[in-house]
Amino acid sequence: MTTRRRRTPWDVVAWRALNGCLVGFLLLPILVVLLFSINPAPFIQFPPHGVSLRWFAKFFGSRDFMAAFGLSAELACLTVVGSIVIGTLAALALVRGRLPGAGFLAALFLSPLMLPAILTGLALFQLYVLLDVGRPFWGLLVGHVVIAIPYVIRTTVAVLTNFDRSLEEAARNLGASELVTFREVTLPLIRPGVIAGGIFAFVISFDQFPLSLFLVNPGQETLPITMFNYLKYDFDPTIAAASTVSIALSIAVVLLLERTIGLQDYVKL
Amino acid sequence: MTTLSTAVIAPARRRRRGRHRLEGLLIAPALLLFGGFFVLPLAVVLLTSLLTGNPMGGRAVGFTLRHYERLVGDDYYLEVLVTTLRLGLWTTVAALLIGYPLAHQLARLRTPLWRTLLLMAVLSPMLIGIVVRTYAWMTLLSNQGIVNNMLQALGLTDKPVGLMYNEFGTVVALVHIYVPFMVLTLTGVIGRIDPRLEEAARSLGASKLRGFLEVTLPLSLPGIVAGCLLVFALAISAYVTPILMGGFEIITLPILIYQQISGTSFNLGFAGALAMVLLVVSLLLVALYSRVMAGMAGGRAWR
Repeated sequence: MTTRRRRTPWDVVAWRALNGCLVGFLLLPILVVLLFSINPAPFIQFPPHGVSLRWFAKFFGSRDFMAAFGLSAELACLTVVGSIVIGTLAALALVRGRLPGAGFLAALFLSPLMLPAILTGLALFQLYVLLDVGRPFWGLLVGHVVIAIPYVIRTTVAVLTNFDRSLEEAARNLGASELVTFREVTLPLIRPGVIAGGIFAFVISFDQFPLSLFLVNPGQETLPITMFNYLKYDFDPTIAAASTVSIALSIAVVLLLERTIGLQDYVKL
Repeated sequence: MTTLSTAVIAPARRRRRGRHRLEGLLIAPALLLFGGFFVLPLAVVLLTSLLTGNPMGGRAVGFTLRHYERLVGDDYYLEVLVTTLRLGLWTTVAALLIGYPLAHQLARLRTPLWRTLLLMAVLSPMLIGIVVRTYAWMTLLSNQGIVNNMLQALGLTDKPVGLMYNEFGTVVALVHIYVPFMVLTLTGVIGRIDPRLEEAARSLGASKLRGFLEVTLPLSLPGIVAGCLLVFALAISAYVTPILMGGFEIITLPILIYQQISGTSFNLGFAGALAMVLLVVSLLLVALYSRVMAGMAGGRAWR
């Protein structure tokens, strides 16, 4: 009995090895980018010779990249605020309400998840052409908020569904007003879902490409678009450094997500 | 008794009616936003695809089907459509082959630590931008890239193998980008299959492989269908990866759409017609996807 338990059967080992390889496939490109960003040579070189931070210096010293970085960060932060406010309110109404057509509304608010962002981008572009408003910053922001809202709604709805309504009833019975109940009971309880949605919204906005492609002003582009344009003509590791900065930001976000609500819950969504 | 019930029920009812108005208020911002900046713009796309010119341009415009006729009449556009669907299909098949083992492992892992680590490994590429991930594959697969360097160092080839600027490289990078979506969809489904079912099959004399093929695999079929629809829908609407990995050699539908509004050609009507094709295909896929997911979750598809 004990020997059987100790020795893992060969097929289980093979299965794990296969999955190890697949994880390698998923992580390899990221490791390669990290490696190139600290490689001093201006071309792809493997194995790397030496360590250098010159590409980071070039990235942080580049006015174009920094302007794009700033624009993306500003856009992402405003997107978080906009999508959290609008998305949380909508999620509350969808779960709590016996609104007529709630199922249809939910499908509508979640549809940017499945609809290609390039279509949303083209559609907003055509609307702005039609209205003759040019390519305003608010136009870009509105697009980002529309794309980010489904994530906020999904995470908030997930929390609201497992919500114990009797807590609110108790507060109400103890004489709290609707507003006080919301502030003191509902909001703290749904906070993890809202925060998770906000983090998703940040990442979605910060990495957004196809939507921004249609809506940015030439010369005032977001970071992914600036990187894309750079890649079309130049191949030096400045992009690797820029990527490393983005990756560091994303890893920070994943850790934050894990700390706030635990990634485990996301598999069930 | 009656006084008690009226005291409790009547205010509750009044509260409920008040709530209804409140909920209308809560949903109003989202409704306005989506009405004005999602539904309306899509309607504008449909409209311009059917018009001879810009209706706000001052000149008289009429309805026309010429943008769609151009689309159907030219073999080039048919070829673009076929290329797009072919790339989507290969990406889906490869993503399923890579995603299924990972999802199965993830669903069956008992140790929370390993589960979290594997989940993070699968999810973390998802949180890295498409441009970054495509760049990573360019450094790996280009003629001076790592893979070609290694092949030459090992003496397996004396000339660089064309791994990039073709459909192969494009599919590899697309698969890498969309595998996490496949894994997430499949893990949820496989996790709900009771492992004792497979054990029961084995105790009745079935081999491990047969137990998997005849119990777990059929039960996870809805997840496979849903995951494939999702990945296919995402892959056919990809823009960055086909452009960079295809080196402007491969033209897919999204690339063609953007070409219509950038550079020398500016044809909103034709862009609209192309977009409607992509929209109809996507909507079909989405409808199928939600139907499959609804079948699994017992009507709670919108979660």
